[in-house]
Amino acid sequence: MKNLSRRNFLRLSTNSLLALASALGIGGLIRYLSYQFDPAPSSEFDIGPASDYPLNSRTVIPHIPAIIVHDKKGLHALSLKCTHLGCTVEQRNFGFECPCHSSRYDMDGAVLKGPAAANLRQLRVTESEDGNLHVFTT
Amino acid sequence: MSLTSKHKRYFSRDYLLAISILTFLLIAGLLAPLRAQASHQVQSTVTPPAQPTPTFDPQRLEKPVIASDHSEQLKKGALIYWGVCMACHGDRGQGLSEEWRAAYGQDSDCWQSGCHGPDYPPESFLIPKDPVIPAVAGAGALARFRNAQEVHDFILADMPWWDPGQLTDEKAWQVTSYILSLRKVMPKAFELTDTNASAIRTQSAVPQPGDDHPAVLALTGILALAAIGMIAQDLQKNKLRLVERPNFFHHLHPPTIPALQARLRYTLGAGGLAVFLCLILLVTGILEMYYYIPTPEHAAVSVEVITSLVPFGALTRNLHFWSAQALMIVAGIHLLRVILTGAYARHRRLNYLIGLGMLLLVGLLDFTGYVLRWDEGIRWALVVGTNLLKTVPWIGDMLYRLTVGGPEPSLSSVERFYTWHIFVLTLLMIVLGAWHIFRVRRDGGVAVPPPAERKDNARLSRFDLVRREVLVMLLAGVVLLFVSAFFPAPIERPMTETMIDIENTRAPWFFLWVQQLLRFGDPFLWGVVLPIALLAGLAALPYLLPQASDHELGQWFPRGNRVAQILMIIITLILLILTIIFIIPTTQL
Repeated sequence: MKNLSRRNFLRLSTNSLLALASALGIGGLIRYLSYQFDPAPSSEFDIGPASDYPLNSRTVIPHIPAIIVHDKKGLHALSLKCTHLGCTVEQRNFGFECPCHSSRYDMDGAVLKGPAAANLRQLRVTESEDGNLHVFTT
Repeated sequence: MSLTSKHKRYFSRDYLLAISILTFLLIAGLLAPLRAQASHQVQSTVTPPAQPTPTFDPQRLEKPVIASDHSEQLKKGALIYWGVCMACHGDRGQGLSEEWRAAYGQDSDCWQSGCHGPDYPPESFLIPKDPVIPAVAGAGALARFRNAQEVHDFILADMPWWDPGQLTDEKAWQVTSYILSLRKVMPKAFELTDTNASAIRTQSAVPQPGDDHPAVLALTGILALAAIGMIAQDLQKNKLRLVERPNFFHHLHPPTIPALQARLRYTLGAGGLAVFLCLILLVTGILEMYYYIPTPEHAAVSVEVITSLVPFGALTRNLHFWSAQALMIVAGIHLLRVILTGAYARHRRLNYLIGLGMLLLVGLLDFTGYVLRWDEGIRWALVVGTNLLKTVPWIGDMLYRLTVGGPEPSLSSVERFYTWHIFVLTLLMIVLGAWHIFRVRRDGGVAVPPPAERKDNARLSRFDLVRREVLVMLLAGVVLLFVSAFFPAPIERPMTETMIDIENTRAPWFFLWVQQLLRFGDPFLWGVVLPIALLAGLAALPYLLPQASDHELGQWFPRGNRVAQILMIIITLILLILTIIFIIPTTQL
């Protein structure tokens, strides 16, 4: 930066200021567009009394989406969201299949065939004081 | 050789490095509040009030202490709540629960007590048992109200229970603010008013809005400094112009233009400013589209969200509003300039007509944009503006349906105005604008005498021209930012079905002359025929009246078209007088 003439100094500072203003503008733009007004979707679902899910039942709750399995091991919930790109998987005689890219899972949600790499998620289920089951997606 | 070394120095690595570090720091700094905002969101999801203590704690009757970072409104509301509402609605907003009634000891069965039982004393009253006094905080509370506006309206009309209507509007806002903070849906430092309360919902929290002013003022200051820097460069003695290679923007201009065409005191820079304002309007308008929801139910609320919650949303909206107002003025000045300098003559007639068409479009864009607020402020402008169409013989009803989308403003009307505003009219404006600018060049640039008759044959290079344009844009941008930082665009509470008294029955300022004309009588004659005749008269100027001759061009008030000039001045004065007549009596009231 030797021999910086007055002209070049002025030019450099003006251009720096314009660059600074652009950076400020881009930062403001990102903040403007990142605002989220709508509330985040609920992550807790009340699915009614536990007696609705007797032993050896498999019940699909479409709006979560999840399947509530009650077997010898107890009551647990399996997410029906494909771990590949989030489509809802469908029930098959071998377990589940994703209609979007044909990933397959067995009855317990373990991957049988890609492209999905991870098993279907186990969801937390709790029973509240009033006897209703609550499923948590987070 | 010296040139390349200069370029080298100009783009030296140090310089680029410094700029990129600065840019990074700045963006990082600006984005930092985002993370805070995100974490706030998680906290602010509605949580049930703390588990009530089984035995009553007299400390709960103490005056509430509100943290100092809350709004004054909320603090005052806390006191009112403590003094008036808490007895029934509970210290945590839990309602008259068993746990809260325990506070009253042996009188805890309120419905049988000495105070509110069947034989209550004269100063007292019966309290309702069915329904039991509701909670105002906790899960499911206030479910019948969508937003703070509705809570406020209810409190104002129906609370306190034994003496409804006792609270002033201001106090109702204070109580609303405190109650919503009990529900944890109220941003801390937010002052509720009837122009932002619809954006605060009762069932879910919104992120705390930040203060944009420092950033906006910083941006304004930086642009002002840059403008000063440009001026300082121009003031340098023995200006040595680097031989630059023309960039894209240079190529939009001819290599050189006569210096006479670029005199500010001749052109007033109005045409160029109008282009700049249109660009600002386009950008801010697109940004507003990200949040605006064109339905009757959501339109006004979404405008409130942009204005009072979205970071830099108020700035975006104010810039859009003030640019639109400025465009109306600048376009008017441009028209005046063209007529008072006789520049519309002969082969420029077509471009003059295109310009008039654009002026009409600016008016329509302004009107449709104004209506998109869909708040109480636009109710009468909408009714009057569209009913004017109905007064046109034979085709009136058809025109009305084309504009409004039905026999009266309805569910689809907002969508309709939205489409007119952001698409059809904007597209027409872009097409006419491009044509207008193209015709300026095709017609030989800004009107000046032919080369042989010019007093000054100096020419201005495109490098200087672009430089000047950038400087003017910078200065105009600084003014717009400054105005937008301090003067908010108008907004009123969302339009409701029930009619409420609104003093504001004024048209937008540039239509006040029409509103005054409408007081004179027949709406079709005064409100439709006359304005159209005015526009038609202006369009006929270059065809009916004498024009300035070529050698007279490039100066103000040439002899050749004096009649047109006088006519234009008279018309301008009449419009001003009509506007002033309209304003005076209302301000005296």
